[in-house]
Amino acid sequence: MLRPMASDDRRYFDEIQVGEAYESPGRTVTEADIVMFAGLSGDYNVLHTDAEFMKSSIFGERIAHGLLGLSIQSGLLTRGMRPYANIAFLGLRWKFKGPIKIGDTIRARAKVIGKKETSKSDRGIVTLSRQVLNQRGEVVQEGETDVMVARLQ
Amino acid sequence: MTGAPPEYFEDVVVGRVHQTPGLTLTRGHVIQFLGFGGAWDEAADDRRVPDLLPLCISSGLGFRLGPPLVVLALMGFEWQFLRPLYVGDTIRSRSSTVTKRSLREGGVIVEARDILDQSGEVTQSGRLTLFVAKRPAERA
Repeated sequence: MLRPMASDDRRYFDEIQVGEAYESPGRTVTEADIVMFAGLSGDYNVLHTDAEFMKSSIFGERIAHGLLGLSIQSGLLTRGMRPYANIAFLGLRWKFKGPIKIGDTIRARAKVIGKKETSKSDRGIVTLSRQVLNQRGEVVQEGETDVMVARLQ
Repeated sequence: MTGAPPEYFEDVVVGRVHQTPGLTLTRGHVIQFLGFGGAWDEAADDRRVPDLLPLCISSGLGFRLGPPLVVLALMGFEWQFLRPLYVGDTIRSRSSTVTKRSLREGGVIVEARDILDQSGEVTQSGRLTLFVAKRPAERA
């Protein structure tokens, strides 16, 4: 049975500091991940599904969907930090810089780069910069995410 | 059967709007999605759909429209989450090309995309930058 996260473990806008950094555990991306993600998303682009076609591409083999890498880092990072008292995920800006191949081990790194108060006194916006790294330390994805976090009342 | 021939950079028309068929979000989608990252705490609320999931599905919805565009890479995107989605909601994607720029080996297109729910409300919205193949030269 799933155990709900203890709510008193969550961190509020007031206690989050600009400059704080987090690092996730690693995770090896497998062929099964790519097959399942194609099935879930419906994105059957040959880049991710046709091993023969991809032999003659610049990658030489199938690569993971960029959004699969993004989805994995999102989950991984929640395992590398205490949760925020999130109200909402507002948005993100994201760049895909290199391929994630079958067998690559990726991890996520993040840093608080901004805090912004809003017109409502019970919440604020926290901006994180994030990087997805492979086993060689190469940045394969990076971007910024904005979350609305509750303030201590 | 070989299906319709794919579309290339040359076929992309700036401003033309595509709207996909719908897809109903289920608990099955949510469980499968959370398995990728292992963020099981998000499963505590068993009706809420993780925000990134509809974005991922919106890419696949485009494949149900007809001849697929030969996308060589998703280069980047910016995205806003405007309204939460819940299990049982039915989403569709509406998109149009904002700009296209020709390069030697292919072309870059910027696509504006909205994810609509069953009542036509925009729930997520953003712009994606795609690297697209050019039509291969005819063989003699």
